[in-house]
Amino acid sequence: MREQSARGRDEQLPSPLEQADDGIVAGRAADGDVAAFSVIVRRYTPMMRASTRRILNGSAEVDDVVQEAFVTAWQRLPELEDPRKLRSWLMRIVGRKALDRLRASRPQVSTADIDHPAPAHAAPSRVAETRAGVDALDAALQRLTDAERECWVLREVGGYSYDEIGEAMDVPVTTVRGLLARARKHIIVRMEEWR
Amino acid sequence: MTAEDETPAPHRFELEPEDLDGHTIEELTDYLEAGRTPSDPSIDRSPACRLALDALERLGRLTPDLIAADLAAEPETDESWVRRVLGGIVLEARAGRRIPLAPPRPNADLVITEGAVRGLVRGAENVVPGVLVGRCRFEGDVSVLGTPVRVLVDVSVPYGQAIPNLIARLRAEIADRLAAHTQLDITAIDITVRDVRPLPGTEGDPVDR
Repeated sequence: MREQSARGRDEQLPSPLEQADDGIVAGRAADGDVAAFSVIVRRYTPMMRASTRRILNGSAEVDDVVQEAFVTAWQRLPELEDPRKLRSWLMRIVGRKALDRLRASRPQVSTADIDHPAPAHAAPSRVAETRAGVDALDAALQRLTDAERECWVLREVGGYSYDEIGEAMDVPVTTVRGLLARARKHIIVRMEEWR
Repeated sequence: MTAEDETPAPHRFELEPEDLDGHTIEELTDYLEAGRTPSDPSIDRSPACRLALDALERLGRLTPDLIAADLAAEPETDESWVRRVLGGIVLEARAGRRIPLAPPRPNADLVITEGAVRGLVRGAENVVPGVLVGRCRFEGDVSVLGTPVRVLVDVSVPYGQAIPNLIARLRAEIADRLAAHTQLDITAIDITVRDVRPLPGTEGDPVDR
């Protein structure tokens, strides 16, 4: 692996592997190439952390969950039929790991006690209204029940199908639909109050 | 839950079926996700439903912004994290099938693993700068000596070079390597170009993935 200073990636040219698309990189990693897997880890850690943070809603165990997800991904990469679908496949793995973690650690601390920091540095182009909208959505999400929030995050952030959510949460699809409807209802009511 | 004690404030949004002319948020979400087709006049003509649909659409537009803001708030991935993750994986998990290198004898068995042969194929990229080998598959029963085997390889190539030339060189190198290090009866080497990258050093138009 190339030597890189921790924050110096901007000054360095990306390696060919870093520029290659998911299909190539995941295909190599599936065949056992660790350098390719390290590119996957660099490429998808932020996304997996962000999604896990949403599901866990403030738990400090984000890193553990993401690491576990990568370990599972490495083991199961050869089963990934279409390596170009790496991103959604990783999101499914990490979502499930996050849910496992929640189940193992319940009963949880009250989410109201947790001061969830607002995302610190969004793109400068983001207009103030969107910024405020994002904050309001963030606040609305915090006030959902755990099950509603998990469902919503898996669907909207993780891209899960209703069936996949049901399987991951171990509830019937009808329950998933009900939870999602309630989540959306509560979010919208709170967002409209904010408007 | 009923709120008999107080008349709801006029601005307050109510989304129960009795507020939505008999429709539910679930139905309205499905309707939106289906692109409002086939159109349902009982929804389209209901002011309450239209308000709810607007709100659902606003939420839908805001969600990618939330995801982007979440992503921007994540710290950059540093090398110690990458090392921590790599430290947790089991490296010898990719042996694959056992490929004989000589006819089996009663008390001697000489094989090379499929994983090792894939490594040989991958290494062929080193003689064709810029070419990257992706997934590599062997079609045919490689565990039986003399079985015809087809090699299927995905590759990524740099932009701006003649692809047929690159691929011909890669194919020749793969054939040489397999002939030198295995007894496989290779009938074909199928190479599929799945990705074209900007040349290293010609930054400026970032690759969209």
